[in-house]
Amino acid sequence: MADKSKLGFEFPPYSIRVEQNKIAEFAAAVAQKDDTDSIRDIYRDVEAARAAGFENIPVPPTFPTSFVFWTGGGLMGTVDGVGADVSKLLHSEEDYEFFAPICAGDVLTRKMKVVDMYDRGRKERKGWFVQVTVLETEVTNQRGELVMRARTTFLERE
Amino acid sequence: MTLRFDDVQVGDAIPPYTSLPITRTQLVRYAGASGDFNPLHHDETFARAIGLETVIAHGMFIMGIAGEAVTAWIDNKCLRRFSAHFLGMTQPVDLHDVEKTQARATITVTGKVVAKYEENGEKRIRCEIVAHDGQGSRKLTGFFVAALP
Repeated sequence: MADKSKLGFEFPPYSIRVEQNKIAEFAAAVAQKDDTDSIRDIYRDVEAARAAGFENIPVPPTFPTSFVFWTGGGLMGTVDGVGADVSKLLHSEEDYEFFAPICAGDVLTRKMKVVDMYDRGRKERKGWFVQVTVLETEVTNQRGELVMRARTTFLERE
Repeated sequence: MTLRFDDVQVGDAIPPYTSLPITRTQLVRYAGASGDFNPLHHDETFARAIGLETVIAHGMFIMGIAGEAVTAWIDNKCLRRFSAHFLGMTQPVDLHDVEKTQARATITVTGKVVAKYEENGEKRIRCEIVAHDGQGSRKLTGFFVAALP
């Protein structure tokens, strides 16, 4: 089970550059397209993105979660960081607050910490006991602006 | 056409959005795009080892589909908050038995406007959404907040 002494733990900060092709690939994945020519134009065409009010090609709303997967040891880096067992984990909630656009070419820094850990259910009832871990990730851009905050809740089954 | 604050009323439905049946290939594509390589989403042997019948879709893939539904209606730039609570697991379609399995793998996102208000000097709407499969099983509930002109 997750290690409760990790409550308050701050992971080291990691930086990542937002790549245009990676945005297109993600946009194709969530739109269930087989190629990046048929995705929405703001995700592949700089002119269309500018016409929509962005400085460059923006990211789809749920793209920022990938910053955690591509840095700091990826999924296992996070799971090991809280002492959890990946085979018992379920993603329970995801909550994004957006403060400013994230666009291709941005260099972002993510800072993640463990903000809550608690038990839910009763141990004596098998299948009804889970340990809840809440991670908060703040992402800033190359200008030092806070661009988004994510709260990720996962459950670890016994 | 840009949606305007005055065009929206509390109780209005957001346009429903229905996905294609989710395939295992799409799960692999989402894994590669997002970097989420939890084997639960592509490795049948791992899924069975932890007691599941087969691989399941990433919750974040379903939320990504919901994000498509939301940004088909409001501009990406207007989104201020987007939140989801994951409920049921989603099994992909079996290609040797599409007829019997496509409903479980097809996601429809619906929602409605629940509030209009001003915050941080912006005109904002709050909408509740729900995603369910073709059998009526709920996959996620959530909400988003958008600032409209």
